[in-house]
Amino acid sequence: MSDAPDRNESTGTMTMTKVPTVNLDTAADVPTGVGEQHRSRRRRRDRPMWMLAPGALLIGVVIVVPLLIGVYLSLLDLDQYTLRDWLSAPFIGLQNYIEAVTSTNLLGAVWVSVSYSVLATTLTIPLGVAAAIATQNAFRGRTAMRSLFLIPYIIPTFVVGTVFRTVLQPEGVLNSALGMEGTLWLNGPNSYWALIFVQVWSAWPFVYLLTLAGLQSVDHEVHEASALDGAGWWRKLTHVIFPYLRGPLALAVVIATLHHLNNFTLPFVLFGVPAPSAVEVLPILTYVTGFQSLRFGLSAAMAIFSLILVLIPLLVYLRAVRLDSGTDKGEQR
Amino acid sequence: MSSTTRLVTQQTIRRAARRTERQSAHDEVTRLLPPWILAIVLIVLGLIAAMPLLYIGLASLNSDLGVARGEFWPSTFTLDNYVNVWTSVGLASGIANSLIVAGSVAVLSSVIAIGTAYVLVRFPFRGRLAALRSLVGFQSIPGTLLLLPIFVLFASIGSVIGVQIIGTLWGLILTYLTFALPFSTWIMVTYLRGLPISLEEAARIDGASHFGVLWRIILPLSWPGLIVSTFFAFLLGWNDVMFASVMTTPDTRTVAVALQIFGAAQEGGGVPLYGQMMASSLICAVPVVLLFLIFQRHLVSGLTSGSVK
Repeated sequence: MSDAPDRNESTGTMTMTKVPTVNLDTAADVPTGVGEQHRSRRRRRDRPMWMLAPGALLIGVVIVVPLLIGVYLSLLDLDQYTLRDWLSAPFIGLQNYIEAVTSTNLLGAVWVSVSYSVLATTLTIPLGVAAAIATQNAFRGRTAMRSLFLIPYIIPTFVVGTVFRTVLQPEGVLNSALGMEGTLWLNGPNSYWALIFVQVWSAWPFVYLLTLAGLQSVDHEVHEASALDGAGWWRKLTHVIFPYLRGPLALAVVIATLHHLNNFTLPFVLFGVPAPSAVEVLPILTYVTGFQSLRFGLSAAMAIFSLILVLIPLLVYLRAVRLDSGTDKGEQR
Repeated sequence: MSSTTRLVTQQTIRRAARRTERQSAHDEVTRLLPPWILAIVLIVLGLIAAMPLLYIGLASLNSDLGVARGEFWPSTFTLDNYVNVWTSVGLASGIANSLIVAGSVAVLSSVIAIGTAYVLVRFPFRGRLAALRSLVGFQSIPGTLLLLPIFVLFASIGSVIGVQIIGTLWGLILTYLTFALPFSTWIMVTYLRGLPISLEEAARIDGASHFGVLWRIILPLSWPGLIVSTFFAFLLGWNDVMFASVMTTPDTRTVAVALQIFGAAQEGGGVPLYGQMMASSLICAVPVVLLFLIFQRHLVSGLTSGSVK
């Protein structure tokens, strides 16, 4: 029973995976038929808007207000002495931003963040696509294999960091398996590759999942047609199947890049602080400048840079979500 | 009893026969890879995924010296690590704190999310589209951007009203709860859209209040969505290191921070307590992985919509 789930089951799962990318706004009630005016008027009168209050209040107090405070803090000369009374700390305009660009490692950190995020995302794609294609057709033990493939992604990041901190130590199991005892992975220039290696290990199942969803959208007729044409497996993959994966993979790339850009936990746990300069990503630099060097104003300015950095993939993502729901009438406005 | 058994057997056989029949026809056409390539891909990817997992288990049963020497297969097996972690890492209090924090966040965020989603899905109002969009946007705000301002804000509010917020569990709960809300609400929005509106209308005509509709009609129908939102909200609280590292005291430390501090403290002097690091890692990961595997079919939808990590 555990092996070879039948076709219904697998499509059942995959319909689930597609759910979240559906229309952003399906009109709540499209009143039709008799009594339509009456009903919509009644609706408007007693909408339970109070149910929005708890969420709106929390998001206002813990996200929106702090965002504004964050912008304000970035304009202050704020250190451990002025922090207590931050409202009356000296206002220094854009000096924190200027200092961040000119005399800290900010630009270096931005570069490390971007290159590591893009590289790690790129490397996860072949793994994820291969896994999805390999588990597309039923075989004995497929259910177990699919679960196994997801486990690296679901393991908490702080656990992944702790484990690989041990695996990658100079005399550790990786080096002794490779016969490279003494090679430093957690210090010096190699740490960059260590970060990418661990990130790829824990992130590729995400590409796998989105690719699976994409494969489900390939119609049976397409398979039949390519079988009739006698296409070999490689030609079928590259010419018939891969075009179906373009959309899901684009989405996977954007979301994964976002996750990697924001990833603080993995470098923090894997290398500790201060991090080796090769892996001093923007979140780590911001954290260290604030909570270790106690240059809070400067740290706030760096955080604004990380917002700008994240905004680029985020806007692409928001566009994609909207495009997906382009068929929806309520959306055209 | 024998008749039941026979019936079940017959059903099983019939189902299996139908399955193989359908499958063989289906498989011929839809096969993507020749068997030998399939085997290679599965073995390689299986090893990539499984080796580190296997290593965690083996190293947690190894001596510190054995792990430090780079043994994959322990030369001696010991359960000492699983005994020692409870005192050295502070795992017990860490797990208790994490369970309180992540559990509260999971329950509260789902409760709030279902009400919010109900209004967002069923009632048109000005700004609804913006609210839906912002649900996606809020999920991607870098944590580093909010860390310092939230710290400053909580410290200031605390000193104004004379109540300590930083360092308490409920301060942490409040923070994670808010971070979990956009995703939880988003999940519930996508789920509630799939529910037929007719039941709710019937209940309204019968005189049920909006809250009554939510409580008696929507809640019982939406448990698959609630599983997803609850699980990922729990994960957010269980996994975070950044906020917990700044907003907790040694007494209120979550297990993620306890393990991170324990790992960082192993630098310098003597053989690091690797065995205990691996044992605590395993203890922190197993509940999450088990929960995921149990509810896997529901949770996959949450993963693809870009949650966690």
